[in-house]
Amino acid sequence: MATVMELVKESEVQWVGQPLKRKEDPRLITGLGKFVDDVKLPGLAFASILRSPYASAKIKRVDVSRAEKAPGVICTLTGSDVSKLTDPFLQISSAPANKVKDYCLAVDKVHFVGEPVAAVVAETRAEAEDAMELIEVDYEPEEHVLDARKALEKDAPLVHEQVGSNLVFHGKWDYGDIEDAIRKADRVVNAKLHFHRFSSTPIENNGVVVNYDRATGFLNIYCNNQMPMFCIPWLSFGLKFPSNKIRMITGDIGGGFGTKIISYPYIALICLLSMKAKRPVKWTEDRREHMFANHGNERSFDVEVPVKKDGTILGFKVSAFDDCGAYTRYEPAGATIWAQVSPGVYHFPNLKVDFFQVMTNKAPVGPNRGYSRMQHLWMIERTVDIIAKELGLDPADVRLKNYVRSDEMPYVTPSGGIYDGGDYSESLRKAMKLIDYDGLREEQARARKSGKLIGIGIATAVDSGTNNFGQVKIITDDNPFSGNSEAARVSIDGLGQFQVGLGTVPQGQGHETFAAQIVADEFGINPDQITVLSGFDSAINPYSHQSGSYASRSAVMGTGALLGATKKLKEKVAMIAAHLMKTLPENISFSEGNVVDKQTGKKMPIWQIANVAWVNNVLLPEGMEPGLVALNFWRPNFTLPDEKWRLNQTLTYSYQTHIAAIELDPESGKFKILRYVIVDDCGTQINPMIVEGQVHGAAAHGIGAAMFEEFNYDENGQLNSNTFIDYLVPSAVEIPHLITGHLEIPSLFAPKGIRGVGEGGGTPLGAISNAVEDALAPFGLQITDSHQNPQHIHKLIREKISKLNQVR
Amino acid sequence: MTPKKFDYYSPTSINEAIQLLHDNEDSKVLAGGQSLLALMKLRLAAPSALVDISKLQEMSYVREDKDYLGIGALTIHDIIEHNQTIKKKFTLLTDAASKIGDQQIRNVGTIGGSSCHADPAADLPTALSAVNAHFVIRSGKGQRIVPATEFFVDLFQTAVGHDEVLSEIRLPYLPPRSGSGYIKHSRREGDFAIVGTGVVLTMGDGNVCKDIRIALGAVSATPLRAKSAEEYLKGKTLDDKNIADAAEIANEGADPPSDMHGSKEYRMEMIKVFTRRTVKLAMSRVM
Ligand SMILES: Cc1cc2nc3c(=O)[nH]c(=O)nc-3n(C[C@H](O)[C@H](O)[C@H](O)COP(=O)(O)OP(=O)(O)OC[C@H]3O[C@@H](n4cnc5c(N)ncnc54)[C@H](O)[C@@H]3O)c2cc1C
Repeated sequence: MATVMELVKESEVQWVGQPLKRKEDPRLITGLGKFVDDVKLPGLAFASILRSPYASAKIKRVDVSRAEKAPGVICTLTGSDVSKLTDPFLQISSAPANKVKDYCLAVDKVHFVGEPVAAVVAETRAEAEDAMELIEVDYEPEEHVLDARKALEKDAPLVHEQVGSNLVFHGKWDYGDIEDAIRKADRVVNAKLHFHRFSSTPIENNGVVVNYDRATGFLNIYCNNQMPMFCIPWLSFGLKFPSNKIRMITGDIGGGFGTKIISYPYIALICLLSMKAKRPVKWTEDRREHMFANHGNERSFDVEVPVKKDGTILGFKVSAFDDCGAYTRYEPAGATIWAQVSPGVYHFPNLKVDFFQVMTNKAPVGPNRGYSRMQHLWMIERTVDIIAKELGLDPADVRLKNYVRSDEMPYVTPSGGIYDGGDYSESLRKAMKLIDYDGLREEQARARKSGKLIGIGIATAVDSGTNNFGQVKIITDDNPFSGNSEAARVSIDGLGQFQVGLGTVPQGQGHETFAAQIVADEFGINPDQITVLSGFDSAINPYSHQSGSYASRSAVMGTGALLGATKKLKEKVAMIAAHLMKTLPENISFSEGNVVDKQTGKKMPIWQIANVAWVNNVLLPEGMEPGLVALNFWRPNFTLPDEKWRLNQTLTYSYQTHIAAIELDPESGKFKILRYVIVDDCGTQINPMIVEGQVHGAAAHGIGAAMFEEFNYDENGQLNSNTFIDYLVPSAVEIPHLITGHLEIPSLFAPKGIRGVGEGGGTPLGAISNAVEDALAPFGLQITDSHQNPQHIHKLIREKISKLNQVR
Repeated sequence: MTPKKFDYYSPTSINEAIQLLHDNEDSKVLAGGQSLLALMKLRLAAPSALVDISKLQEMSYVREDKDYLGIGALTIHDIIEHNQTIKKKFTLLTDAASKIGDQQIRNVGTIGGSSCHADPAADLPTALSAVNAHFVIRSGKGQRIVPATEFFVDLFQTAVGHDEVLSEIRLPYLPPRSGSGYIKHSRREGDFAIVGTGVVLTMGDGNVCKDIRIALGAVSATPLRAKSAEEYLKGKTLDDKNIADAAEIANEGADPPSDMHGSKEYRMEMIKVFTRRTVKLAMSRVM
């Protein structure tokens, strides 16, 4: 990739669209990044957290007396302390699920293995861990429930007794007339599907350093939460602490992928510990702890799809059972978020979804790359292949027949989503060409003759981005959020130097780079001349309370906010320039660091204007405020849900088509990827290199989930995969060479036609499960799970063979 | 997690190491640390002292003796993987070492450490059992030599006593017309085996199997020799049918554990599949 200077050829370079190297990479590559564990403060003490060994148990007694006497120990904290010092965290649920009492340490009862029970602060981390082993806890184990459907049964053990049931939310989305469609169908395709539990395991675990400053009364919080300003109400109400004295600071973050949104219980805990210890306190989560911190939603589906013989899909009728684990931290938002992409990429008018979200005694879920949509999209993509098989059609043809067409854009989905442009058919055709689909099918036929199993799987997913928080009003009107917003500040200092601040809280996505590219184009300068603040600090960065990196929103929201700020700033510079150059502001344009009078061609460097604006301010136009700082808050146009819960739930709808070709060893059930193609469209690309990186990363996550990653529980509610020995993250060896292609059809609504990119919609899960089923076609087997464990595939094959043998 | 407190010693000779072990109750040898340190961080092991032998360079070597190939206990997996003599004479060790963990692990982990740790799912112990390696164990009293069949005692237990050090592993040379192979069946490259199969065989006239040893990993408390399959094949022609028939009985005596990567039933099946494949791999290498 080119460096900035190599790219500067002509005077009017468009920086948006250039594959610039990322501004943040030199420091990250040379080990100069500053992560939360790098924060070192004078007098720093260290916390360690004792966790529940039971899936469900009453806490009869917690005795910290021995721990408190251990060497180096400063203080301890237990659930009973926490219940006195704090209020339960805010809940998004409606009654009665909002009776869940979520504290930063378990009070009276533990609800999942790994739940924090007590904490110790000591002079060193090792001493804190030594002391932790001296805390005595008496538990009285209780019945637990680990399966969403079982949790809804009448006599199921209750995860939280005071709620009276395990049901968090039951919603009915019903559009068109699905029963009529079922009556009129040539055939009704049925499937029972299960989407497994996994998460994103960022390379940096959670971490918090809190310095409660007794002099100023400030809680200074260094953390890697990816939505810190959203977290503040949770902290403020929970800790009963004024929000205007809470300062949130993030530095470099080693990946978030959504998992670092629900870390507020830990942040609250460390705040309490710092206040009690009267010392700054650090807690750095270790990998095993992280394995209990944030799982993705597990979901099972009963699907009925009326179809025509020619493959036309008339609608979907779905019952979904979502397992959100033991607490509803960001939930039940996820119970509505799938509806962002209610029909996937398909054109069908009839949709009925009965959605149950249920608590179980497993680790709580939270957002995770592709959050809540990928489960739904996987269900659709899996079903489309089942339809193709039952009708004897090629799965590509069934897709081409049912895709929303480009001439229907903007397309309004049954649930009110407004798809903002794109060409799904073209995306599939392009992917088929890249993978040589016809050639592959021939190869597959040849291979089958020699007993080799090759499978080809297609999936197309909508990757919705920039959410409308109004979607949580589906749960209850009382939820005080809607829309979305972001803040940007652009300033030119007295020496003419540009600085940009954003509220977006980057975790490695390259916000410094994209922001510089956007601003550089507006002022006709070079991105190298623009400094973008790294990290986030609520005392320094501009922010809205919806700031953060989540929902593939930062490029879109950041650009919206930046364009507003640059517009304000340019107007002011133009006014000053016009005054100095004795012309009209509308004659002023910006080029190569100068202001130019379009009529005369006369130039003046921006630094001269800046000098006047700040320090030579007697020369300013009369009455003008000094300084060159523009702060802008931006929000897209969103609406609230109507009476049928229709609303546009996101601003942008990127999409990706993946095709996987695999070869499966029928003797072991193991398979390998032979070829893998991705075509994505995220509209205008600000920086194609960053886009490519996001596409690769999302694909790797999806391939990992499909083939290796699974949070697997035993019948006692113990998490089997609680280290990287069993939770298998793919490495460079497992991820195939990714063949990528792009479309760049601009968003019809977002600033500059940009769409969010990065989550990828979990597309590989569909492509791979479809490929596995296709490989197994000679056995006539159906894949009903999103996770492809070789021993399960092997079992399917064995069972089928023994059945066939019985028939003979 | 951080380990519990421990003392640390860095001896400059193997005798000093043995003395330190003797003097410190609950002490442990530290070689590459790739198993031991992880256990200590998870607080599953809490030795009072570590006797770090990793700097004893004289314990890292591959030497050709008259009757055997000697490998120093501190020889790292990476050297095993790339040593040409090993590759030529004991290819199954090359196979096994090359599939251990990842490059960073192979740069530090040692053959002695892997043997003494005696994880039933580890690769080298299975391969060494198929070779019928001999283990040289040194103590204050001198040295003793123990064959693989007696070295691996139980789950994570070997014949090496508390104040003893494994110094060398000896691989008796194979007769002419021998070949060997090791296949690990695992989910990802570098994971612990679901089933590991090591085969060493010697051919007689034609395709007749003169001698064969089949060792299985991850299916028992220690590496397991598939004796029935071995006996079945000895003296028989190594054709597809005989190999397949032998593979069918290769799991006799196996008692594999169940976990999320492989149930007992699955492993019992995989023993057959991979025994068959590994015998064929070893055959293809007969020189
Ligand atoms: C991420 C990861 C992946 C791995 N993957 C695999 C894999 O795929 N396959 C596999 O087989 N292994 C794997 N391992 C384990 C690896 O092979 C270790 O290197 C090996 O098990 C231990 O060797 P070490 O030199 O590191 O020994 P240490 O960890 O230092 O010691 C292990 C044990 O042996 C004892 N010990 C060591 N040397 C001697 C000696 N000379 N005399 C007496 N006692 C001794 C120690 O006291 C300790 O009890 C993996 C390890 C990790 C961390």
